[in-house]
Amino acid sequence: MPMAPLPQFSSSVKLKYVKLGYQYLVNNFLSLLLLPVMAAVSLELVHRGPGEMVELWESLRVDLIHVMCYLFAIVFVSTVYFMSRPRPVYLVDYACFKPPATCRVPFSTFMEHARLIYPNEKSVRFQMRILERSGLGEETCLPPANHYLPPKPTMEASRDEAQLVIFSAIDDLVRKTGLKPKDIDILIVNCSLFSPTPSLSAMIINKYKLRSNIRSFNLSGMGCSAGLISIDLARDLLQAHPSSKALVISTEIITPNFYPGNERAMLLPNCLFRMGAAAILLSNRRRDARRAKYRLVHVLRTHKGAEDRAYRCVYQEEDSEGNSGINLSKDLMSIAGDALKSNITTLGPLVLPMSEQLLFFLTLVGRKVINPKWKPYIPDFKQAFEHFCIHAGGRAVIDELQKNLDLSAEHVEASRMTLHRFGNTSSSSLWYELNYIESKGRMRRGDRLWQIAFGSGFKCNSAVWKCMRTVKTPVDGPWANCIHRYPVHIPEVVKL
Amino acid sequence: MSSDQAAVTGHRFSSVVPGDVTGSAVVHELAGMDLIMKLHYLRAVYYFAPSEVVDGLAITDLKKPMFPWLNVYYPLAGRIRRAAEGGRPFIKCNDSGLRIVEASCGRTMDEWLQAEEGGESRWRSLVPDKVLGPELYFSPLVYIQFTRFKHGGMAIGYSWAHVLGDPESATNSINLWGELLSGNPQTVIAQKNEENTEEPVITPQGPAPAPVPAPAPIKQVEIAEDVWLPPTHRKMATHCFRITETELEKLHGEQVPPFETISALFWRCLARIRSRREPELATICRSGTPAKNNEILHNKFRTSTVKLDSSAASVELLGLATKILKQDMDEALVDGDNTGEQDFLLYGANLTFVDMGGIDLYGLELRGQRPVRVAYSVDGVGEEGAILVLQPPQRTDLSVMVILPEDEIPSLCRVLSSDFGIA
Repeated sequence: MPMAPLPQFSSSVKLKYVKLGYQYLVNNFLSLLLLPVMAAVSLELVHRGPGEMVELWESLRVDLIHVMCYLFAIVFVSTVYFMSRPRPVYLVDYACFKPPATCRVPFSTFMEHARLIYPNEKSVRFQMRILERSGLGEETCLPPANHYLPPKPTMEASRDEAQLVIFSAIDDLVRKTGLKPKDIDILIVNCSLFSPTPSLSAMIINKYKLRSNIRSFNLSGMGCSAGLISIDLARDLLQAHPSSKALVISTEIITPNFYPGNERAMLLPNCLFRMGAAAILLSNRRRDARRAKYRLVHVLRTHKGAEDRAYRCVYQEEDSEGNSGINLSKDLMSIAGDALKSNITTLGPLVLPMSEQLLFFLTLVGRKVINPKWKPYIPDFKQAFEHFCIHAGGRAVIDELQKNLDLSAEHVEASRMTLHRFGNTSSSSLWYELNYIESKGRMRRGDRLWQIAFGSGFKCNSAVWKCMRTVKTPVDGPWANCIHRYPVHIPEVVKL
Repeated sequence: MSSDQAAVTGHRFSSVVPGDVTGSAVVHELAGMDLIMKLHYLRAVYYFAPSEVVDGLAITDLKKPMFPWLNVYYPLAGRIRRAAEGGRPFIKCNDSGLRIVEASCGRTMDEWLQAEEGGESRWRSLVPDKVLGPELYFSPLVYIQFTRFKHGGMAIGYSWAHVLGDPESATNSINLWGELLSGNPQTVIAQKNEENTEEPVITPQGPAPAPVPAPAPIKQVEIAEDVWLPPTHRKMATHCFRITETELEKLHGEQVPPFETISALFWRCLARIRSRREPELATICRSGTPAKNNEILHNKFRTSTVKLDSSAASVELLGLATKILKQDMDEALVDGDNTGEQDFLLYGANLTFVDMGGIDLYGLELRGQRPVRVAYSVDGVGEEGAILVLQPPQRTDLSVMVILPEDEIPSLCRVLSSDFGIA
């Protein structure tokens, strides 16, 4: 009996070494190939002797004109090559809004307010069940207007919240980077659900007295993945304009979006969405490369809106009583899974090492040609990235992605802990997660980071960053005074 | 009365919670004395005169210090729970929070205070009159109302469930909030944190012993299931009397302290009014001795019971006052065996006189400004009635708040003005 497990163990160990050997071989194939070639050439040289080499050279009858032409050709080709490379985009630094304790919403207060606001008991019980399983903690924050019974979402209150979150984040960023407002060339703001006139970007330009020839953009209605859309837009603009700095603000304003009705699918956002904002400084100047934290490697956007099912998945509409809210459909998770598959199919060849791509290709060919019953090979993205920031849309999203990508608990820790401490802060959650990784001292030079965001539409956007300098702890940011308490164990169901 | 209520409008409700997470299993046990007081509620109104300081305080300025304040006084933000069905109540410190009410009044503060001089109880519209229940698990223990008057000035109404603590605890707590608002938080919080280290742990000792007849100052009443209010058959009302220094001197000279004199005075008057059932027993409540283990929330009274052999009206004023003064304090009213299965009343079980003299009612300071007047009352008083004697510092007049059955108040006013010239 004790003999039976042993072969299994030794076979799994053998398999592990086989895998490692295979990866090493395939990924370093060219270098490995180069060694014997170089050995052969140097052997040949030694064999022939220097005299023969000089004879060979003279037989080519190369004179000055030829040399000049060759030189000219080389210089021309290399210039064209260097000029056509895209400008690097550096993330100099970023700052996240830290919600004040005065906005804190404990579970018990949320439930008590729900009982007082919603006359329908089923709605109250539904929200309680959601909250119990949500993965949120007791320190998440709602804006001041939502602490009233009932919440009174006026335009002024919404503007106040916007000013509070956005200006705090920008002030923090200015303090960290020494950024002068006059140096900002490009300003991009994304906030999905609150879009006043003049826009939030105009509000920022007014407050910080930015230049009159600034290129400002305000993206609204693009959902929780709009943060990466803004980064993509900034990157494209930085290609077109040399020596520029771009300020990107990602936020979601909660005040105007309180849903007072009874439709269950529309009550979810009330329970999950919380205050948050992030300000990111991007630059394409060479001299910023030295102090930048990250360099943007890829941004990949996938839009599934062409399918009706995906389009209606996250839909803002009025319920039968006339209350406006965001309807989340039941097949949200399956649509998210599809969108993710599309995204990683495009991302895979760009980031995966050759070993994984070869395996994937071989399995694909094998399924088509040899036997369709072979299991599709899911590439191991853990070999391509050291850190993962999955949009903290909800516990289900993180669970689903952890399963699909076969990630360990430590890989998704940043996402889970951000959901616990700050709730679903929509487009800015990726930055809170990144701040968590930095605050834990895990970000080293050369590490690769993958940010994945999902949003209404239905969109799945990815960004790949490479770390340019090790980030030293302690890190100044929203996690500063509570990072020592994390990670915490989040139970499946919290007893309320 | 209804016009007063109509004058206060624009009520907005919100909640304030502790700034830090209290924890998932923190419980504030209720001592036996706390449970005796569970049917009573303290209502205080602090009037602040119009000034730049007070009118410049926005609601956010008023709410902001409450978050660190509740870190210290976290039981105020909790909710009542019972151990099991019908078991002993305790406070679960789950950060549910206090309820804050914002309102505005269409009258000016001077107008309002002048009307109060006449004894009308307009203060009722300035403080929430909620009680614990019918949803016991979701009833806030403390309410605070901020009412702004026309042309400036503010009234702060503080409603406090007596189960949390006595008037001294309540007053100290709101004074701490005032100190935090004014600045200077470090020293104050550090001090309070030292005091807060020990929680009174009351372990019920086995099954309840056979019910012992309640000691004299308290009276057992029928169990209040979901709404914690005493079962009164008569409607209670309040009235405020102001007794000036000269009137006081006329009464006693310098032989007996003011509280005893006033108590004797009102006892005699009530004896005259209640000719059929004269109050022979009276309970005297004074602030307790400083708690030994520095709990910041406690119900610690010293009570004494005065029994008269004959009618109070026949005893001479000075003699009655001296008897009250010399009366010994009762022993501890109850020990830890009270499992909360029985409900009691303290105020109004017998005619109760409460000495508020030792309590720093005027100590609530908002950035250097103190209240011009403080009105204080108790809800949930029994039918015998209660009389609170408030002595503002640096003032020599006394305020006397009487809580009596509605129909007794006009007669009392008549007797006082005719015999003693007190309006």
